[in-house]
Amino acid sequence: MPARDAWTESEPRTICDLMPAGLKILLTLTTIVAAGLIPLEHWPAQGLLLAIVFAGLSLAGVTMRYLLRRLGLFLPLLLVFGLSVPAVQSGDAAWSWTISLWLRCTVSFLAGLWLIHVLPFPKLLTALRRWKCPLVLIAMLGFMYRYTFILWEELRRLRNARAARDFGRVPRWRSWTSNAQMIGLLLVRALERAERTHQAMLARGWDGSVRFLDADD
Amino acid sequence: MTNVEPTAIELRQLSFQYPNGRLALDAITCLVPVGERLAIVGPSGAGKSTLLMHMNGLLPAAPTNTDAEVQVFVQGQGVTRTRLRDIRREVGFLFQDPDDQLFCPTVREDVAFGPLNLGLERAEVIARVERGLAAVGMADCSTRNPAELSTGERKRVCLAGLLACQPSILVLDEPTSNLDPRARRQLLAILREFPGTLIVATHDLDFVIDLCSRVLVLESGKVQADGPTQRILSDPLIMDRHGLEVPWRLR
Repeated sequence: MPARDAWTESEPRTICDLMPAGLKILLTLTTIVAAGLIPLEHWPAQGLLLAIVFAGLSLAGVTMRYLLRRLGLFLPLLLVFGLSVPAVQSGDAAWSWTISLWLRCTVSFLAGLWLIHVLPFPKLLTALRRWKCPLVLIAMLGFMYRYTFILWEELRRLRNARAARDFGRVPRWRSWTSNAQMIGLLLVRALERAERTHQAMLARGWDGSVRFLDADD
Repeated sequence: MTNVEPTAIELRQLSFQYPNGRLALDAITCLVPVGERLAIVGPSGAGKSTLLMHMNGLLPAAPTNTDAEVQVFVQGQGVTRTRLRDIRREVGFLFQDPDDQLFCPTVREDVAFGPLNLGLERAEVIARVERGLAAVGMADCSTRNPAELSTGERKRVCLAGLLACQPSILVLDEPTSNLDPRARRQLLAILREFPGTLIVATHDLDFVIDLCSRVLVLESGKVQADGPTQRILSDPLIMDRHGLEVPWRLR
């Protein structure tokens, strides 16, 4: 499920929630850039950065369960990606590269997670508008945010429909086949919905220009 | 001297064929006077949604640019490519699925979408958003994500988005689908307050009795019957022949 609980408007609960939106984005970007710029084998600096990010997550009230679930999705990918480094580079340096890569990516991922947790998405978009980010990009982010929920619901309905008819007797290899079919179906439905949404935009006078009403008013 | 009633929508021999060759509308002629509340009923696949989409210029995909070929007129103006902007300012279109219509991250931004496209001043846009949300009883939900709302609330927000554009004609495609009785009553109350012309395509015949004064029965893209609500909906011959049923209230 997308981070609906974390990325929607709510009353400020922690010190992180009270920070200005621009400062939150700046801190996140600074952390990611710092993670990328720390030289190889400067382990204390990398460890310090990781500790700072964990402190930020702790201050933001992110629970360990939430963190582990997100890391559980991200770390396997990172593991595979990191293991490809020794395959192309030999010697001790390869392992230093791998570990450094894991650390940098984990720090960046956690920094992003912190931002998601402390900044409601509409406020992120408002801050990006203030920073003169291209409007088309902001509009695409807005659509992505809105339609992630809808597609997720659509996927849930498809899975329920399958579960209601497989009587728990479908072997695992066949469920992979139906998963692939379901993804295809989801894509087709998403395309149909995109067409209807485009019509809904035209019906309300959209002429191709992107216009916004600031969320902070 | 004849007293000519001003016309909100006029259809002149309107026909439409989808690219797959299916004839969805077949020579439909109809006059909808200003202020009328018209219901379009008929079985699924009769062409109701296709007909409504012509009233907002959403169909055909490439509208004509010559007055001679125009088949749809809104307030006397032919729906041509150059007039689409003005036509859509006058005709508000409510889609069947509210998720098609609510595409912004917050309720407030979604309601503001139409007024912003009208090129209004920011203060006026904000005032219209507030009025629109208040009119549908959703003023408290302005900062919420539409995904958090119930279907009934989403429909009301969609309606607020239309009302914020201050259209003179509302065209509604299945407005009561997936609504529970309370949400349906709320929607009915909001629509009763609307002062302009109302055109509703629906299967909900009780809703039609409560709201509309005239009914048009559509099947296979043709107008099969047209007349006052009570007379059409209580006629078992018309209703049975076109896959409908006389509502209990009229039996």
